[in-house]
Amino acid sequence: MEANLKKLFLVLVVACIPFGLFIGHDHVHYFWHQIPSFEAIFGFLGAIVLLGAALLLGAIARKKEDFYD
Amino acid sequence: MTNPVPPFIIFILGAMLVPILRGRLRQIFLLLLPVIGLIDIINLPAGTSWVYDFLGYELIFARVDKLSLVVGYIFVIIGFLGIIYSLHVEEAGQHVAALMYVGSSLGVVFAGDYFTLFIFWEIMAAASVFLVWYRKEKEALDAGFRYVLMHLFGGALLLAGIIMHTAWTGSIAIRTPLHELPFWLIMFGFGLNTAFIPLHTWLPDAYPQGTITGSVFMCVYTTKTGVYVLARCFPNIDFVAYMGGAMAVYGVVFALAQNDARRLLSYHIMSQVGYMVAGVGVGGALGVDGGIAHVVNHILYKGLLFMCMGSVIYMTGKRKLTEMGGLARYMPVTCIACIIASLSISGGPGFNGFVSKGMVIASASADHKPILELMLTLASVGTFLSFVKLCYFAFFAKNEEITAKEAPLNMQVAMVATAFLCVFLGVYPQPLLELLPYPVPVDYHTFTPGHILATIQIFLLSGLVFMVARNYFAPHKGIVLDVDLFYRMGGRIILWFCEKPLNALRSGVQSFLTNEVEGTAVLSRNPYRAGRLIKSYFRGDPKDKYEAVRNEPYNVNSYRIPIGVSAGVATIFLFLLTLIYFAVGG
Repeated sequence: MEANLKKLFLVLVVACIPFGLFIGHDHVHYFWHQIPSFEAIFGFLGAIVLLGAALLLGAIARKKEDFYD
Repeated sequence: MTNPVPPFIIFILGAMLVPILRGRLRQIFLLLLPVIGLIDIINLPAGTSWVYDFLGYELIFARVDKLSLVVGYIFVIIGFLGIIYSLHVEEAGQHVAALMYVGSSLGVVFAGDYFTLFIFWEIMAAASVFLVWYRKEKEALDAGFRYVLMHLFGGALLLAGIIMHTAWTGSIAIRTPLHELPFWLIMFGFGLNTAFIPLHTWLPDAYPQGTITGSVFMCVYTTKTGVYVLARCFPNIDFVAYMGGAMAVYGVVFALAQNDARRLLSYHIMSQVGYMVAGVGVGGALGVDGGIAHVVNHILYKGLLFMCMGSVIYMTGKRKLTEMGGLARYMPVTCIACIIASLSISGGPGFNGFVSKGMVIASASADHKPILELMLTLASVGTFLSFVKLCYFAFFAKNEEITAKEAPLNMQVAMVATAFLCVFLGVYPQPLLELLPYPVPVDYHTFTPGHILATIQIFLLSGLVFMVARNYFAPHKGIVLDVDLFYRMGGRIILWFCEKPLNALRSGVQSFLTNEVEGTAVLSRNPYRAGRLIKSYFRGDPKDKYEAVRNEPYNVNSYRIPIGVSAGVATIFLFLLTLIYFAVGG
């Protein structure tokens, strides 16, 4: 069950990208609005950047619960 | 039918009646109040009414236009849902605090002048802190004190700005301040309530500490009245727009690192309020409309999220994500409501966040703010990640130790009703769009293939990162420090300075003077002892009696009472003086 769900998810991930070739951005203001499937790239890289930022924050600023006591 | 009154009157008078009612009667009364409030707001005449003359200024209690109406409606609706959610609470005080809070927020929304706004602004802070204090644990009491201190500081900024504005322009009508200094003071006074960085620390500090039902109210009113007044006075200002973008990103990064479920939600309030602030700061019809539409949608899904997490905490007693897991089996209604709320906050197509978030992001790019557009898009990636994390670790992660029952019926009813509204406005946003202050530009369409595909791609690809790196997203024990470290440490340094060096100086002076007075007294009784007295100085006799005074540890309470008494006497004196002034001068 869980493995099948994972496979389905991966299929969807791969399938969503080519749609960007046919469906463009509604209002083109900047160059990245012309890149096909820009949001897919941005979502992927953005998630990695945010994960990195959160891990870094945790490494620097995570303290024990009773830090202020 | 009687004439409509300013809606705050209904809630504040209602709050006073709550303690004398009991049981079922009280529940019916509580449910009736927001209904009366809604009917009242619908019937309020457009324009300004309930205007009073006060010392030559005009106090306006009901300023009714499209902007105040849409915020007023949603405040009353979520008030109703929040009351359903808290119907089982026996303690009258909690209901009183919640109703005072709702009432004063409505007072701010419909206020037409700065004086009235300021009075309700302060009542709001004072009423809401009781929703934290009613949890009655030490950490909640402490967090409540920090909360109220921050808000009093914000109120002081606001008051200073208002006084300057009034003195320099001669008018107290609410409008964008013309002069530089009141402009920034009033903006930051408002900004503290919308959690401007770095004044945001009260939010993630106090909201997770509130009572289960209190947090549902808290997450709605304070920040949204802040956004509302920013929309009134500071639309179309670049500083506000970029502050919004910064808040959106800052909030999600901190949220991703949290373990306490309600603290995670609190950082997301900051992030989502960032969208609203950004929309208002970009300005124009699309920006302000997007910001205000996001206020409405956010109130619904964030209220719902706090209801869901509140039910989990209420039924399991667990507040940390590390202690939860596997709850989907035991609390299906809560789980589904939480997933709907998560999809709404992430802006999934067909859920209400999609509509307003799209408007804000589109307004940023149409206004030639590419960086802001990317910041807001990045924040929506982070929002989706944190809610996948929240839902996964609360409801689906493996945890054999936990068992729970579904929440009480009233809580479930509130959750289902709120979830319904989230989906309804997501599928059919027309009623909301018609209520917005400006007509939505004709070239903006909500459901376009481009928008929908963009959102789906963001979800799927960031979901892929979550799936692959799931272990890195796992919650950790402990707290993550924020900039309030500096406030709290600064506070401690001031306290230390008062307690040690300053107190040592005081007791040194006191013991020296006591010593000298005593010596003079001895001398005046018997001048012949002068010689011995002088000799004792040079010998350096121990002065035990005075040393005792010097070494006495500082005790706050022994000094608090005299200060309190003098403040009380001063107040009474001022009161009498005012009476005489009015009696003689008037």
